[in-house]
Amino acid sequence: MNDQNIDAKLCQRIRQHLDAYLSNELLAETTREVLEHLETCPSCAQEMAARTRLRHALRRSAGTLMPPETLRPSIERQIRRMQPGYLGVSLNLRLVVAVAAVVVVVLGLGTFQYLRRVRQGRQMVANVLALGVSDHLQCAIQGHNYPEAANPPDKLREKLGPEYAGLLAVVKQKLPGFEILEAHICSIKDSPRKYVHFITRGQGTILSVILTRSEGERLPAGPSFRSITSDGVDLYEAHVEGMNVAGFETKAYWGFVVSDLNPATTLQIASRLAPSVKSALDEGVEPGARASLIDFPEARVPATRP
Amino acid sequence: MFFHPKVRVEDFEGAAMPHFLALYRTARLLAQNSAEAEDLVQEVYLQAWKSFHRFEMGTNCRAWLFKILFHRLHHFRRRWAKSAKVEAFENPEDQDSIIAEAPVPQEIRDEDVLSALEKLAVEFREVVLLADVQEFSYKEIAETLKVPLGTVMSRLSRGRKLLRRELVGVAVSYGISPAGDQPSTGESA
Repeated sequence: MNDQNIDAKLCQRIRQHLDAYLSNELLAETTREVLEHLETCPSCAQEMAARTRLRHALRRSAGTLMPPETLRPSIERQIRRMQPGYLGVSLNLRLVVAVAAVVVVVLGLGTFQYLRRVRQGRQMVANVLALGVSDHLQCAIQGHNYPEAANPPDKLREKLGPEYAGLLAVVKQKLPGFEILEAHICSIKDSPRKYVHFITRGQGTILSVILTRSEGERLPAGPSFRSITSDGVDLYEAHVEGMNVAGFETKAYWGFVVSDLNPATTLQIASRLAPSVKSALDEGVEPGARASLIDFPEARVPATRP
Repeated sequence: MFFHPKVRVEDFEGAAMPHFLALYRTARLLAQNSAEAEDLVQEVYLQAWKSFHRFEMGTNCRAWLFKILFHRLHHFRRRWAKSAKVEAFENPEDQDSIIAEAPVPQEIRDEDVLSALEKLAVEFREVVLLADVQEFSYKEIAETLKVPLGTVMSRLSRGRKLLRRELVGVAVSYGISPAGDQPSTGESA
């Protein structure tokens, strides 16, 4: 093996390192070996110079490429325009999910609250209407506090007192087919609540018209609670202890029509009665103003039990 | 957590905009035309801005931007896959025997280099640009292009040689004979 062969083999080995040497990716030891060889081998040094020259030319020529002047400002403008949405696509998605979750929760809570409100409202309606049923049951049905023959109107007016006497005519007028047997102020044992109680007979049964002060409490408004509206007065219904009750509200009173007639009939009777009773109560019943004996011709007949 | 800490556009611009020219030039040399290069750079910045909350300040922003650029580029390239030249000379053992080291002129004109680059298959061009123009390390290039380190090394070696050959071709076509080195000795002699 002569020197030339040894040199050729060494050159070949060094040249395999030149790419990595040019990219500064050689280990220090190999770098030293390459450097030493380049110092002594003009051919390899020339090759290395050629590579270095090309590399510089590459960098230089790439540097001549200039973007249009508008590109960078346009990009910066777009970036800044996206500022409010800087959360980005993936984050926008998260935002959407978050908002959706909140909506679901709010809707869920809202629905829950709404249903709870409806349930509570209906419970309140039932509780209020049950007042009327209790009075009807205890006073009229179980207590049988009415005569078989209607009390005369004068007596009823006296029993009702000046505050409510005027209602007799209203009830009489709005309850065709029913005879007012009794009217009085009553209360249920152990309760301070007072009831204005009209006991009537018709359609083969006993029907009570009952008023009691609402003491500022209001029945819940809205179609979820009321059954119908009659001349602007909401009517509520319930079925309590075998009785059907239809109720309504005036400024200061709750009114009830209670009977064992079917719900539709009870509601119909109440709807006829409610607007007049309400306006009479709201506008103030003038004692005797609208109630005259003429309204109660039968009252002239002495009441006798059959 | 649904929300990331707020990122500021000033932080983003401070970190990302200094690499605007490097990105544009790389895109320009790899895209099919300047309009596509502009679109690419714009997409890179908007994409980067959108995911800036995931970028760790203080880490290599340039490498991150180039990764996004090449992700977009490769996405583009899949669309031109049919027209793309894919030469499969990946085996390092083949290389030296296939291409002799062409002479490099003493004076190299920029337009010649750019023309020669354009003729280079894109797989080689991108490695040469990342290594020789952007001076990324082999490891960074491998990560950017999502190829093994060995592939980076072989493509770079072959890409440099092919570029020299193309450069000679370009110079000759302009009527300039390579006045620089004679074809190197070595195995081709």
